[in-house]
Amino acid sequence: MRSSFLIAWREYRQYVFSRGFLIFMVMFPVGVLVGGAAVSFVERARPVREFVVFDQTGMYAPIIDESLADRRALELLGAWNAYLEGAIDRTQVDPANIAEPFGAGEVTLARSAAFEAAGGAAAGMEIVRPLLRRGAPDFTAPRASFRRLELPTEAAEAPSTAAAADALRPYLLGEIRLPGGGELFAAILIPADFGVSADGPPAEYWSRNLTDPALEVAVSRALDSAMRRTAAADYGIAPETLDALADVSAPLEAFRPDRGAADAKLSTQDRIRTAVLPAVMTYMLLVIIFAVGNLLLTNTIEERSNKIIEVLLSSVTADQLMFGKLLGIAAVGLTMPTVFLVGAGLVALGGSLGGGVAQEAVIALLTSHLIPVYLFYFFAAYVIFAMIFLAIGAVSNSLQDAQSYMGPVMLLVFAPLPFMVMVFQNPNGLVASILTWIPIYTPYAVMMRAAANPPLWEILGATCLMLAFAIFLARIMGRIFKRAILSSSPPRAKEIWRLMRAEEA
Amino acid sequence: MTAAVLTLNSVVKRYGAFEAVRDLSFSVAKGEIFGFLGPNGAGKTTTLRMILDIIPPTSGRIEVLGSPTAGAVRRRIGYLPEERGVYRKMKAAETIAYFAQLRGVDGRSARKRADALLERFGLAAFARSKNEALSKGMAQKVQLLATIAHQPDLLILDEPFSGLDPINQQTLEELILELKAEGRTIIFSTHVMQHAERLCDRFLILAGGQKRFEGKLEDARTGFPTRLVIRTADPVDPLVSAQGVLAVRRTPEHPPGDPTYEIMLAPNADPQRVLRAAFDAGMRLSRFEQSMASLHDIFVAMAGESAREDKAA
Repeated sequence: MRSSFLIAWREYRQYVFSRGFLIFMVMFPVGVLVGGAAVSFVERARPVREFVVFDQTGMYAPIIDESLADRRALELLGAWNAYLEGAIDRTQVDPANIAEPFGAGEVTLARSAAFEAAGGAAAGMEIVRPLLRRGAPDFTAPRASFRRLELPTEAAEAPSTAAAADALRPYLLGEIRLPGGGELFAAILIPADFGVSADGPPAEYWSRNLTDPALEVAVSRALDSAMRRTAAADYGIAPETLDALADVSAPLEAFRPDRGAADAKLSTQDRIRTAVLPAVMTYMLLVIIFAVGNLLLTNTIEERSNKIIEVLLSSVTADQLMFGKLLGIAAVGLTMPTVFLVGAGLVALGGSLGGGVAQEAVIALLTSHLIPVYLFYFFAAYVIFAMIFLAIGAVSNSLQDAQSYMGPVMLLVFAPLPFMVMVFQNPNGLVASILTWIPIYTPYAVMMRAAANPPLWEILGATCLMLAFAIFLARIMGRIFKRAILSSSPPRAKEIWRLMRAEEA
Repeated sequence: MTAAVLTLNSVVKRYGAFEAVRDLSFSVAKGEIFGFLGPNGAGKTTTLRMILDIIPPTSGRIEVLGSPTAGAVRRRIGYLPEERGVYRKMKAAETIAYFAQLRGVDGRSARKRADALLERFGLAAFARSKNEALSKGMAQKVQLLATIAHQPDLLILDEPFSGLDPINQQTLEELILELKAEGRTIIFSTHVMQHAERLCDRFLILAGGQKRFEGKLEDARTGFPTRLVIRTADPVDPLVSAQGVLAVRRTPEHPPGDPTYEIMLAPNADPQRVLRAAFDAGMRLSRFEQSMASLHDIFVAMAGESAREDKAA
């Protein structure tokens, strides 16, 4: 056993203490933090999109202004909610329980109006400051996304939308700067008979930027809203009534029938635990098994081609060597998710990325049974695939030799991927059940279903089948490893069958 | 003979229909240097692997250091295989210490021994260098040191001299003699007969998977005719009919001068009679030398015989 641990430790050190892995370990959390900061920076640094409206009707420009102002108000309220989620000390108060209109709640125009009427973010800060966690910064309002500018004279005097488009083209192409010095992002042209009839001319949206549709969407909604108002008036409904109706949302809360009444309400953590984490962990399991399997393959080929294997086998038995290698590389495989977890934990503690959501995800992970499930099925999947990789390494003198076997193995490893979406959507459906009962896919299927309370008998039965298969495979692949590892030339495909058969002298 | 450290009894190894080792029996005594000789494909490496319990024999019995299998006494054996390699990214001292640890030495002692061995063999400056940075000769030395760092009772060295320059070959010869002086038993296989002739107490010749000879060099020579080498400018016909002469043949002259002849004598023939016959015939000799069959001659004769047998079969 001591020899196996020595081999395992050497294997582990070779990879984990290598310069590349150490850099990865340091860079991963740093990368996440820098990535988070970059997203926030990009958000803050995004330029204000400046646009003009050429409105021959004279009625739609104010409507667009009003719609964008509403959008801005909702944006501010949403940012205020997110700020409270990340900054409030929950040991004192839940953000939702802060006195209205400054508590975290629904993002509606009515609440936004109340928020502004009560003094807006400045007044809100005075209320919540004593409730902030230590070191939390003050609220910073996000920058406005859009600003409407006055039309240049030559465009304002244009007799038609076509003439206006011609006049505005140099501004849109950046050839002429706007009076304020900025670059015109978009122009909205509304013809005189817009909205008069269903088959009338359309409004036009002109912009050189095709990748940021936010303004186009906002304008489209504003025009939609305006036309609905007109249509509503035809039905005798006042515009104010229509606005009030837009704010109406049916209260709907989700509950789990498998819990008592007190804690049956579905929380964000529940949603993360049942949907996000199993999917992320299944994907991680798949990727890590493949990555460490490859390490095992290249490492065995190196020992075989470097002729180290013979010295090793004169010092330890083939079983000890095999066990040591499996153990060492498994530890490498577990180090990776540990680094991910620590990185996520740091982010959650720092609250710098997504604040509440990251924190909720880490809490959901740590308070669930997903980690022990992951560990168990990681080892099961690892034994199955690592033994295959080990045997391939033992019959290959080079990576080129290994390629001929790797094709089918890769197909096997990644075959369940397209079906995993179906398991995700229906974790207790037929596809999920079928995958669960195929031993090489049991780990992935069970991991994906882990939070969906699958039938216990099914999981236990499939797990027993998987363990029996893993033992069988380990014996067969172990025989190939032991018999082929010392042969000077790779065995031919038909010889593999002979290697698999029962022990012979 | 002292107690046997290694005994093989009727050992056979078959791979399907191919018989790599046929009914092989021999033993090695404690403290001797035992030469394991044979041409390529003779079954040497297969036999060594069976001795080390890396592969099982098809039949027969192998006893190593008093144990029916090498597995139980693995830590008392050191093995240097013919095809060598080291972990490229591992440091020299680490490599030696790692293999010593695998053979039961505790970590601290293994590291101390590694440093001491590297110091003794002039590699102290490279102790912390990665193996990939060492020359081929240095890497081979590192592997040899890794083989002896756990102070084994039985050392099995497969072609230990191959790849070493003459100076390192000399160093290795000295090391082997030193290890013998410490009471260790050494088995080594080689193609270089001079090394075997100089170092081995006894040797075994294996050809076609079969034992052709086991014993001391003197024993091997008894089956081979005595040779005489003479140099003369006169005709040698009178010697062909001399008593005990089996054959006379001219050999290439080195250095050029009078012709040189090799005379093969029948076993127990008296070389003095040949000398007298030469004088009686009035021959003028500038050289007259009696030489025994060399290990090289014996090896070539035995291995060649086996090759002829295999061809005939």
